[in-house]
This record gives sequence, C-alpha cells and structure tokens, in this order.
Amino acid sequence: MRNKYSIIHICFIFTLLTLISCSSHKVARVQDYNQFAIKTAQAGLWNEAIFRWKQILTIDPDNALAYNNLGVGYEALGKIEEAQAAYQRATELEPDSRYYRINYRRCRLHIRRSGTESPETDNESSDIQNEDTTRN
Amino acid sequence: MVHFISTYLCKRIKHCIPLHQHAISCIMVFLTLIICSCGSKVARVPIPIKVQSEIDINTYSNFAVLPFVSDINNSKIDNIPVEIGSEIAQILRSKLSRQKHFKIIDKQETERLMTGEDVDAENWLTDTERLSELGRYFEVKGVIVGSYRFTTDTRPRRYYGERYSYQQNRYVMQYQDYMQKTYLILLRVMILDVDSGKIIWDEGYLQRTDEAHSLGSLVFSQMAPKETTMRELSKRALAKFTQDISPHYEKEDRFLMR
Repeated sequence: MRNKYSIIHICFIFTLLTLISCSSHKVARVQDYNQFAIKTAQAGLWNEAIFRWKQILTIDPDNALAYNNLGVGYEALGKIEEAQAAYQRATELEPDSRYYRINYRRCRLHIRRSGTESPETDNESSDIQNEDTTRN
Repeated sequence: MVHFISTYLCKRIKHCIPLHQHAISCIMVFLTLIICSCGSKVARVPIPIKVQSEIDINTYSNFAVLPFVSDINNSKIDNIPVEIGSEIAQILRSKLSRQKHFKIIDKQETERLMTGEDVDAENWLTDTERLSELGRYFEVKGVIVGSYRFTTDTRPRRYYGERYSYQQNRYVMQYQDYMQKTYLILLRVMILDVDSGKIIWDEGYLQRTDEAHSLGSLVFSQMAPKETTMRELSKRALAKFTQDISPHYEKEDRFLMR
C-alpha cells in the first residue's frame, strides 16, 4: 500500500516537472525570438523583426509584448493602420503597461500630425489632448 | 571574572567573524545576481516619422524668391555689401528647388522681371500690393521675401584649466583671457499669398557662431570680410525654413519590450 502511494507520488512529481519544463521551453522560445527580433530591429532590419514577432504570436496569441513590438515595427515601415491596431491590442491585453500606452499615444499623435486621420481618430486625438492636460 | 568574560567574547568573535564574512559575501553575490537579472526591460529605438509641411503645399506649390533686404536696424558700420541679399535669395532658391513639392522661379527669370524694381525702398516688405502684383507677373501662388540683420558682439572671456606644476608636484589651476567674437544673423522670412495679398508665413531664424581671439587676431578679424560667415549662417537659417515648409522625416523614439 505504501509502495503504491509512493509510485503515485513519483508519477505526479514527474508529470508536474514535465509540464513545467514544457511551459518554460515555450517561454524560452518566445524570449529567444524576441531578443533576436530586437537586435534585428536595432540594426534596421524591420521586416525580419516583424516576422519574428509574428512567430511569437503563433506560439502565444495573447502576448502583449509581441503586439507592442509589432506595432513599433509596422510604424517604422510606415504601416500606420496596422501599427495602431497592434498597439491597441497590446494596451487591451495589458492596460497597465506605461510603455504600451506611450507608444500608442505617440502613434495616434503621429497620425493626427500627418493629417491622415479618420473621424474616429480625430475623436481619439481630442482624448489624447485631454489626457495630456490632466497629466500636466 | 573580567578575564573570563573577555576570553569568552574573544572566542565568540573569532567564531563570528567568518560567519559575518560569509553572510556579506552571500549578500554581495545575491545583489550582483539581482542586478544582472534586472537589466533594462525596455529597448529604445528611433523610428522615422513623417512630418507634414506647415503650409498647404497643394496650394502653395510654386514660388518666386525675391532678394532679401537689409534690416532697417542693421548697422552700416559693418560695410555689408548689398549683393548679399541676392545671394541669400539664391541660397534659398537652390534649397527649395531640391524639394520635389515646389517649383521655384530661377535666378535669371527673377532678375529679368525684377529689372527696375527698387528693392531697397523703405516699404519694400510692407507694400503687399506691390509684392502681389510682382507675384502675378511671375505667375506664382506665393512670393518669398525677407530681411537680414547681421551683428557681431565681442566680449572678454576667461578660460579656466589645470596644468601640472613640477615645482609643486601637483595640478594647479590657471586661466587664460581671450576675446569671444560672436556673429549673429537674424533672417526674417515671409511668404505672401499672391491672390489674397496676405502674409501666410512670417518667421525669424536666428543663427550664431563664436570665435576665440587674442587681441591681435581680433583687430585683424574686424577688418576681414564677413560675407563667408554670413553665407554660412544664412545657409543654416534657410535650411531650418526649408524644413519647416517641406514634408520631411524626423526621428522619434519608441519602446520595444524585452
């Protein structure tokens, strides 16, 4: 009886360790892709960086970090609408992240300054102004 | 009794010191690990951002650049040649011609149509009617006119430094007096709407440069021609103006999360 329990215990611990190792492997892959993407982005290879961040999203579709970085990549390539959508998703997934909000706000300001805004973004720009004034 | 206590404490301390050392080294290693692991989570990257022109480039796409005139307050002591106004206009023409959005009337055409015009008249910049009329001759939407003010300012300065004294075997403070000559140029650039006769752009651009002189070189610099300095400062000021009225790219930081 005692032996039976010990075998169950060992099996349980083994399963737990396997699960932990699997999840840590996934996290490690995401981190590796992201580190590589950041290096390529810093070298100006934005298409490569975007490809990597998209790969992260195939592994983890709700990764706010990847959405934020993808937004930066799109913005660097001048794909403003895609960038805005990516930033929006990042802020939805992690509303408390200061950097995601900064990137999103700057992107919207850029849209407003470049004069390519839709009526929807026009309303948003007034929101940004209000936000800025309340901050100050 | 005292002897007993002191020997006891000595023994304790002897035992305790290695323990303390271990604890401190452990804490140091732990802190180092924390510092290494807590590297910056954010990477700042500059990305190009398109900045639009501050004027409506669809409406104002062709310009005539008229010679710049000397500011009324400009001192006559500096003996600046009158041609410098035409040179500034030519610098601006060449800068704007490089922008694909603008068509600029060339120098020869401008000089031909400006024959007989009194550019040095007092009301040259304020007579918008006359400028509009000239714009209609040139068949352009906007006329660029402006004025320049060139001044110099000389002040005594003191530079503090250190030198090694072999007598005192240490570094000692020393200073050197010199004259700092500052060249300043203020370009006022205006864009006039030919159809309405209204001024749509009126901005001043200030540029400066400094030179260090001894008393002797300062005397020579007073006599030296100033056109080259003026040209260089004008180029910088006009580059700023060209950037303001043309769509261009600027770098802006974004945050990548690690």
